[in-house]
Amino acid sequence: MATIKIDGREIPFEQGDTIIKAAHRAGIDIPHYCWHPGLSVAANCRMCLVEVAPPPGRPALQLDILRWDPEKKDYVPARKPKLVPACQQACAPGMEVLSEGSDHVEEARGAVQELLLLNHPVDCPICDQAGECRLQDYWLEHQGTGKRMQQEVVHKPKAVVFGPTIVYDAERCIVCTRCVRFTAEIAKDPILSVRERGNLNEIVVSPDRELDHDYTLMTEHVCPVGALTSKDFRFKARVWFLRSARTICQGCATGCNAYLDYDPRTNTPHRHRPRDNEEVNKYWMCDEGMLSYKRAVEGRLGAALVGGEDASLEDALAAAKDQLAGIKDDPARVAVVLSAQHSNEDNYALLTLAKTFIGAKDLYVSGRPLGRGDEILMSEDKNPNTLGVMQLANAPAPKPIAALFDAIKAGKYSFVIALGAEIEVEAKDAESALSKLKGVVTIAAHDGPLARAAHVALPATAWAEQDGTYVNRQGLAQKSERALKARGDARPGWELVSKLGKELGYAMTFKTLAEVRRAMTPEAPAPSRDADRAAKPEVSA
Amino acid sequence: MPKRTPSNPWTKPAGKPIEGKAIPRPRRTAEVQAYLPEFLRGMAITMRHFFKNTKEMMLGQKPDPVLEALNEGVTTICYPEEKRPYPERFRGLHRLTLRDDGSPRCVACLCCSTACPAQCIHIEAGEYAEGDKRRGYERYPKTFVIDELRCIFCGFCVEACPCDAIRMDTGIHATPYDSREQFIYRKDLLMEFTGRDGSRTSANPRHEPGDPTHPGLSREQMDH
Repeated sequence: MATIKIDGREIPFEQGDTIIKAAHRAGIDIPHYCWHPGLSVAANCRMCLVEVAPPPGRPALQLDILRWDPEKKDYVPARKPKLVPACQQACAPGMEVLSEGSDHVEEARGAVQELLLLNHPVDCPICDQAGECRLQDYWLEHQGTGKRMQQEVVHKPKAVVFGPTIVYDAERCIVCTRCVRFTAEIAKDPILSVRERGNLNEIVVSPDRELDHDYTLMTEHVCPVGALTSKDFRFKARVWFLRSARTICQGCATGCNAYLDYDPRTNTPHRHRPRDNEEVNKYWMCDEGMLSYKRAVEGRLGAALVGGEDASLEDALAAAKDQLAGIKDDPARVAVVLSAQHSNEDNYALLTLAKTFIGAKDLYVSGRPLGRGDEILMSEDKNPNTLGVMQLANAPAPKPIAALFDAIKAGKYSFVIALGAEIEVEAKDAESALSKLKGVVTIAAHDGPLARAAHVALPATAWAEQDGTYVNRQGLAQKSERALKARGDARPGWELVSKLGKELGYAMTFKTLAEVRRAMTPEAPAPSRDADRAAKPEVSA
Repeated sequence: MPKRTPSNPWTKPAGKPIEGKAIPRPRRTAEVQAYLPEFLRGMAITMRHFFKNTKEMMLGQKPDPVLEALNEGVTTICYPEEKRPYPERFRGLHRLTLRDDGSPRCVACLCCSTACPAQCIHIEAGEYAEGDKRRGYERYPKTFVIDELRCIFCGFCVEACPCDAIRMDTGIHATPYDSREQFIYRKDLLMEFTGRDGSRTSANPRHEPGDPTHPGLSREQMDH
């Protein structure tokens, strides 16, 4: 493979790569604002200027400049090499690039920083980007001095409401046009543009429109400074208090890789933001997914329910044993409901209980009903693990939950053991059908129709409170990490299944997640591709 | 009988008795032995202070207990009627400085609560309502709580504050309350306190949006 040299280091590149892209892939960070690996090249921030050595036998391209001489107290003629933006310059074999190693580049970066900060209000205490702002980072790295302009800065509109989710601050904006390019290229809804010229320019929304498509929060996320802020996160938390867990978005079957930023002191999730994964979501997430972090704490089942009343876990398990008393006599009258909302581990535990111990023949799968999908990221299937459940229980394939209620009406079952709270059918029908049964036990993280209709509901941890594996619509098994501590009496779903199994008198032995994972390895593919990505050096876009 | 050597290895070299300089016992002279002359001498000092203090109190000549503390004479004070002035940089209770319009200068950046080693500051940020002239520019503390019992009075919060909004220049100690709840100082109380000079504002004014000195936030107010 052809290589280029950056500061003496050989770096391979692919045909058509720009210098910054090759460097980014190799883990070298060339400072940049407007460049984003997933967007087109604008080359307007000029932060990524590098010095490219001339081809052999050719003179270097030099510029005549005037340089201040402090001894003569005057400007004297000088020459300096012409620098090129690394985001726009294509790589050529044998090219030599000086980035950190060049004084000219260092000087240029300091000067660019000074220019960008000329009119920037340094209101970092008020700004929500403080703590993760490129301007702060690069100021320390490349400038470190004050600006020389003494005049009052240019004032521009503040707190312009762009839409239901985004607030824009023109003063802080450095007009890198990442948001403009994102809406046009990725969200396919080109409603942002730049108005005015020079130091008066600002981002505006098209007349009579609002920034209200499905990817508005991404425009905030691609903003390298604090110009765009999301109403949801605005002023809620300081980023230096937050910790991040590598999660999988639970919004739909796409299974976007995400970071869940949470405050460990208050055990509260604060935001979801995309985690780069070229194969699944590249660098993006939809609004629905980014806001889905709220479901980790909202509408939770905090304690076990017996007949709709709060109970302790022990009492609930004892009640479940009573409810499922006749289960061993007639396994054919038991229906087991797996959940496309729960992880592979939870489903596997329930499947083991159903197949190995109870001997139940009929499997169903529950989940949220179909929703809106699009060509970009959103799937119509709003469950993160539909494929995982199908793969786990491939023979016999689980039937949709509507069939369960028909079968109950026909009098086929006396007992139902279910995972998850969500169902795709009318809650009323479900409740009337389930109320006729002898025993209905649900293991659910959220309060939903299935949990409410159950005689005994056991509180499971939500996805953010446990490690889990989810298989997305492409068939990629991806691991999601635990972020929060369990709320209330909640325990991981597989553990509750194991406890229930033991209570019923079966030899369920799952005590740790590792045991469950070891047991399921032959059936489910190991999530190796995710691990590969974790080993790669991380350079933020 | 030989003197028993201590066996603790940490206090002496092993096996050797502790060596030291012998100090002679004061000689018991007749004067000391008699006790009375020493008693009278001590009484004389006490009475001299008594009459001097009484005279100075009557005539209002009592020396300043701080400035003349090292001088001859007795410089006790009648606490709490009299109080020693604290040095200028004494860290008293916290206060929140105000802008001219009475709003807190604090922008709820959480720098103080981040810097606080005792973690005694709790702030919730809020946004000024739609239509407010500071709207959009400023966030403000919806709640600002300092647990003065937890506070170690290190002054890091004052150092960390980028807006000079929190200060410890009230010059006062916390009143000795009888419950923890009373030591939890909330925003209203912190905004009530004044500096030692009696002002609620900061000594470092700056252009604030909404102030007459600020060049303005909207295009209409721009002049360049």
